[in-house]
Amino acid sequence: MRIRLVAALAALVTFGPALTAGAQEKVSIAALRFVSSAPIFIAMEKGYFKEQGLDVEFKFFDAAQPIAVAVAAGNADLGITGLTGGFYNLAGKGAMKIIASQSREEPGYDFVAYVASKKAYDAGFKDPGKFPGKTIGITQVGSTFHYMLGMLAEKRGFKLTEVTLKPLQSIANVTAALKGEQVDGVLLPANNAYAVEKDGAGKIIGWVHQETPWQLGALFAGTGVIEERRPVVEKFVAAYVKACADYADAFLQRDAAGKRTFGSKADALIPIIQKYVEPKPSAEQVKASASYIDPKGRLLVKNIHEQVAWYQAQGMVARDVDAAKILDLSFVKDHLDVPKR
Amino acid sequence: MDLRLEGITHSYDGLLALDGIDLEVRDGETVAIIGPSGCGKSTLLGIVGGLLKPSAGRVLAIGAPRADSLNPFTYVFQDFALLPWRNVAANVALALEHHGLSRAERRERVAAALALTGLGEFAAALPKQLSGGMRQRVGIARALVVRPAVLLLDEPLSALDAQTRELLMEDLLAIWARERSTRLYVTHNLDEAARLADRVIVLSRRPGRIREIVRIDMPVAERGAPTALPVVAGVREKLWALIRDEARDAEREVQHG
Amino acid sequence: MADAAPVTFRGGGFHPRPQRLVPVAVFVAVIGLWQFASWRGWLPALFLPSPWEIVTALGGMISDGSLGRHVGASLMRIALGWVLGTAAGLAIGLAMGIFSVARAAGLPVVSALFPIPKIALLPLFILWFGIGEPSKVATIGFGVFFPTVIAAYTACDSVPRNLIRMAQSFGLPPAAIVWKILVPGAMPGILAGFRITASIALILVVAAEMIGAQYGIGAFILSAGNLNQIDHLLAGVTLLSLLGLAVSAVLGAVERAVLRWR
Repeated sequence: MRIRLVAALAALVTFGPALTAGAQEKVSIAALRFVSSAPIFIAMEKGYFKEQGLDVEFKFFDAAQPIAVAVAAGNADLGITGLTGGFYNLAGKGAMKIIASQSREEPGYDFVAYVASKKAYDAGFKDPGKFPGKTIGITQVGSTFHYMLGMLAEKRGFKLTEVTLKPLQSIANVTAALKGEQVDGVLLPANNAYAVEKDGAGKIIGWVHQETPWQLGALFAGTGVIEERRPVVEKFVAAYVKACADYADAFLQRDAAGKRTFGSKADALIPIIQKYVEPKPSAEQVKASASYIDPKGRLLVKNIHEQVAWYQAQGMVARDVDAAKILDLSFVKDHLDVPKR
Repeated sequence: MDLRLEGITHSYDGLLALDGIDLEVRDGETVAIIGPSGCGKSTLLGIVGGLLKPSAGRVLAIGAPRADSLNPFTYVFQDFALLPWRNVAANVALALEHHGLSRAERRERVAAALALTGLGEFAAALPKQLSGGMRQRVGIARALVVRPAVLLLDEPLSALDAQTRELLMEDLLAIWARERSTRLYVTHNLDEAARLADRVIVLSRRPGRIREIVRIDMPVAERGAPTALPVVAGVREKLWALIRDEARDAEREVQHG
Repeated sequence: MADAAPVTFRGGGFHPRPQRLVPVAVFVAVIGLWQFASWRGWLPALFLPSPWEIVTALGGMISDGSLGRHVGASLMRIALGWVLGTAAGLAIGLAMGIFSVARAAGLPVVSALFPIPKIALLPLFILWFGIGEPSKVATIGFGVFFPTVIAAYTACDSVPRNLIRMAQSFGLPPAAIVWKILVPGAMPGILAGFRITASIALILVVAAEMIGAQYGIGAFILSAGNLNQIDHLLAGVTLLSLLGLAVSAVLGAVERAVLRWR
């Protein structure tokens, strides 16, 4: 093993990546050019994939939806993005399985904010408990934002039907609707939420992690890929988890008071992230967008069961979808919060 | 009502169509206007009824129309000009609707006009259901319903086949025997002129000028009899002799553009 | 006469006749084949559900009451947008058909604005009218307006001039000429325009409901797409198709009633 690795590294140095690629196992992953995809960028740039003998190809998309479709249709071997109703419908048909974690809402780590419009805030919309009766802009039906509102409704004891939802298709439209006072409030990722607050168009009235921590994103693989190329997936996860640890070391540190701190390790990784993320973020924006990602790639398993159940209750996911069957917990050790059967 | 046309002159786009037409028409008279194609006979009729403005000259109406005449100058058109979405009775009623008559009076007048033209049982029919002859009867009924002082007939039988034309000529004579009016009758058909008119105005080729006025002395009522055939044929021959050469020239012009 | 031979028949053909059973048979055959292919697994269930699954999805929408909500919301927008667009379009179109000045003023404007896909104006309407109902109704209304204007004034042009001359010869006042001759005479052209604008309204309601609509067939199709519920998506498309057929049937009945005289 070591000899092979040394030989591979030697070849890499001597002949460059083009020649070595032939000796390596090809694997593709569909992803967004978001900061939350950071672990795969780190694993690529730090050579963790190569160490595993993998020649990884990134296939970038501009929304979560086509990523799930690409993996289900076999256009990509793996995918990494947020978990949506659309994802569960495809996965529920046996097309793919969740194997490791990506972002999650973890107390102390700002990621998605509840934002009130200026007018609504002045009229008293200053607390996430005040959602009933409001008109709220979200990106799409069955998006992570939709689910976050559903969880908030459960926690705060109101009905989701008391909120008028306006699906606006994109973060840009959601932001515009808030600025135009056409909605009372929205849910926005930290980076966009800060920008809106800076403009004076809206006010952050709370953070999702304060209300309902949950498993927002995941790494998943096509069922056929898992069955036929299991060793490749294992190698991929090994490199991925190693990068998650690096990421956590750099971006998830907090001081004694609980405040997040970013040191030299973060500074070292920021250029890697800036290389892939579009539009290219500043160092400050990378830090603001750095979501919590489990250092060991572990999933909040029970929450995924809850997500499926919620989408089913809303009629957005087919009744016959079984959460247990869309999870493959064998690639990462010690998953969190695993329901007992 | 008498009519006097004084120096009627008309030109289209600088082309002289009618040149100095002077004519007197007496009350109750039927005057046919014939001439080769493009002599301006329909234009002249348009000017008499006020649908076209002459370049020069004027039309005078002498004497008051009868008291119950709602539309002293009334046309009968070659293409009938019926509204296809109105039934026969409603087409006839169109001519009355803006005159503030009571509903009963309107209905009565329409019924009388339909009876006069033999359309009584077709009151509810749509134009598309009628033959050409019946459609022109509707056109005639519509003209009669306003009790015109001057009836302006613009090739009224030209769109009809020969048999229908014979029938309608008889009908027109029967109606004119009962309804008093002055009639200007434009046609290119010499038979119609010889059978229906008291006088025939023969116009020359463009520009239209009065070439000759042919008086027919035999009363119109007698011209349908077999014994009248030589007289009618004679008039027809005379008219044809008057326009024959010009008709040929006109035809060539049409053919050669 | 030596040999007598019957003359061979060589006419006939080239005369399409209505065949009542063929369209139904084709329809049934296509659906049947599709169902069979799905059942045998020849079609990927992930991306093309069987007809039966689509029917089941429609049944589900009926039983949970969402069908009425979606169709109702869309019909409301279509009705409002279509009526407003048609009323304005007829007013302007008839004015352009009657008055030379109105035509000279209106024609360049209409010609310039007509070809713009109204979907491209949706963001603008959202800025002007907000993300609520007004922007959706406006999108449909504008989409319907321009074809109606063009249909109305060309229909006025197609009214035979001799009918207008006839009306003038009987001394009908100008207003009566408009109402008794021009408008009924333009009706066939206007109704033909209605067929076009009704389908435009259907297209635009789907586009308009893509932004900020909770209910409506367009919103339903879009969210089914977002949720990868292909059976629901196709159920929504089926609904649109049925709606289109229903609208066409209604217009056909109106045409038969109004244009009985043709």
